[in-house]
Amino acid sequence: MIKQDMDELEEKSTFVIREAVSKFRDVAALWSMGKDSTTMLALARKAFLGKVPFPVIHIDNGIDFPETYQFREELAKRWKLDLIVAESEIKPEMSGFSCCGENKTVALKKVMAEYGFDALIVSIRRDEHGVRAKERTISPRDKDFKWNYKDQPAELWGDYSSKLDEKGHVRVHPLLDFNEIDVWNYIKQEKIPINPLYYSRAGRRYRSLGCTHCTSSIKSEAKNVDDIIRELEVTKTEERSGRDMDKEKLYVMERLRALGYM
Amino acid sequence: MNMNKVTLLGYKDHGKSTLIGNLLIITGSISEQRIEEARAMSRKLGRQFEPGFILDSFEEEREGGLTIDTTRAQILYKGHAFEFIDVPGHEELIKNMISGASNADLAILVVSAKGDEGIKDQTLRHLFLAKMLGIRRIIVAVNKMDKVAYKKESFEAFSNRICKFLLAIGFDRGSMFFVPISAYKSDNLSSISKRMPWYKGKSLLDLMASVAKVGRGSTNPNLRMSVQGTLPDGMLIGRVLCGELKEGQKVLVMPQKSSYKVSKIFVRGGAAKAARQGQNVAVELDNKLGFNPRGAVICSAHNPIMPQSRLSAVIFAVQKPENDTTLNFNGIPFACRIRTNKVIDTTTGKRTAGTLRPLGAAEVTIELKDGIIAEPFFELPELGRFVLYNKNEFAGIGIIT
Repeated sequence: MIKQDMDELEEKSTFVIREAVSKFRDVAALWSMGKDSTTMLALARKAFLGKVPFPVIHIDNGIDFPETYQFREELAKRWKLDLIVAESEIKPEMSGFSCCGENKTVALKKVMAEYGFDALIVSIRRDEHGVRAKERTISPRDKDFKWNYKDQPAELWGDYSSKLDEKGHVRVHPLLDFNEIDVWNYIKQEKIPINPLYYSRAGRRYRSLGCTHCTSSIKSEAKNVDDIIRELEVTKTEERSGRDMDKEKLYVMERLRALGYM
Repeated sequence: MNMNKVTLLGYKDHGKSTLIGNLLIITGSISEQRIEEARAMSRKLGRQFEPGFILDSFEEEREGGLTIDTTRAQILYKGHAFEFIDVPGHEELIKNMISGASNADLAILVVSAKGDEGIKDQTLRHLFLAKMLGIRRIIVAVNKMDKVAYKKESFEAFSNRICKFLLAIGFDRGSMFFVPISAYKSDNLSSISKRMPWYKGKSLLDLMASVAKVGRGSTNPNLRMSVQGTLPDGMLIGRVLCGELKEGQKVLVMPQKSSYKVSKIFVRGGAAKAARQGQNVAVELDNKLGFNPRGAVICSAHNPIMPQSRLSAVIFAVQKPENDTTLNFNGIPFACRIRTNKVIDTTTGKRTAGTLRPLGAAEVTIELKDGIIAEPFFELPELGRFVLYNKNEFAGIGIIT
């Protein structure tokens, strides 16, 4: 996994976050309390001199890990976050695709409509998945949240001025260029607080965090950030291999994202 | 580690995605899992293993055997990091090609030597666009050498023709490199293939390593800072494009032509005495602005850029410009009128009188209602380029000459 230049990544993300806040009327960010969206909030605090300038949304299906809820409370208080918890109801018969596709997306639609947000910051990265690799930095969704991936806007030279669907919203992806190892290097450099589930307990840790139903841990002895970076330097497995949803069907990520999933 | 961004250019089916796929495999840059997934997909579709499936992740791309949208993948080779930007080769997907290629430092043109494939209009158009987008070096990979019995004559015929075209559109001899390859059979990708003993040059990856990173960005020493907007407390935010921003410095905010002194600078979350090229900053000036500064340019007071409402430019039109075409410049849309002076044949580089057609280029004069703070593209790229829209549709790109 290639380590990229931290300063260059930070400058680009800073520009994108500031661009979103300058260009759009009502911006919000998704916060899953995972490493990526927490890193994005750290970047936003720096870009706006100490205060995250937009509300952060947790799409809560009630089955996140207890550590995740505790981490949410602690950091929201410490960073004075404007936290919106959007509850989605989980049904036991639901599997990964329908859970992420219906539950989470429905709850997201509801909260976006209620608050009237026109831009949503989502901390996805290109190296996570082949389909996410095809994303734009600023990516429009129509009124039904659909991603028209066959006709994405031109995005030249870092010019994000393309015209957008007025009834829809845009997804803003400030972490798109980060690799998994870059996120950890940035967490180390900036001493960003991190959900403890990423660290090894009894020989296992979570490398990618979802909710309790469809995320599994990996075998690992990595007990701190340095250990994780060392582990990633030599790993041969994919980051999301512990996420059931990705494996369920071919093209599941493409379908989920086309329907409005993150 | 510094990332060299490499775009693949060339016509559809000439092997761009296959080439990147195999380079990822050869350099060990992709997990076994991703390779296995591409293998399984190839089997399912009843084909031989297609390394291109590592890049082409959309269902439509795999089933249709084409790249629809740009994607990226990174490799490490002999201490250099490269990010490949794969782009579609189809004419109708040129918007996606331009989006991908606009981020590159280096281009690899993939042209198939096989029978009826060869050099197409689209092959040359991609090279023309590479020049317009500011890409400085081109590696020409003559592909599918296995289909022409690895013949030297075939490689030389393609190299000579493309060399002539590159010279005609303004590349110099020292900025172009030629290598015969078979992307599918991995000939001359990382090591020199025994099947082409007549080739005395470097492998594709070694060529890439030898031309890695020349400096990016402008060498203009005068301060130009593009303003994105304001913080809630009124401080200006934006990016230093060239020169240096210093505490206490006298500046002019253009096009409003108002002068100020820089009282405070914040870089990466903290107070700083100065900010340099490429840095995002927050700036406090000694007086209130009284206007919306988005799109303004902060210049050193002794050497500002004056607003211009008439521009000379070269445009590439995906659609023909209309009367209501807007020009998006430095993050802001402007109404404009575009007059064609000469059309440029993107397959020969020749400039003649005529009518601009879709997928064509032209030398133009642009009239704007408001003055913009622009510089020639080759002096300060960020203030020398623009994107054209016909209503909501992407219509083309332009560079100020």
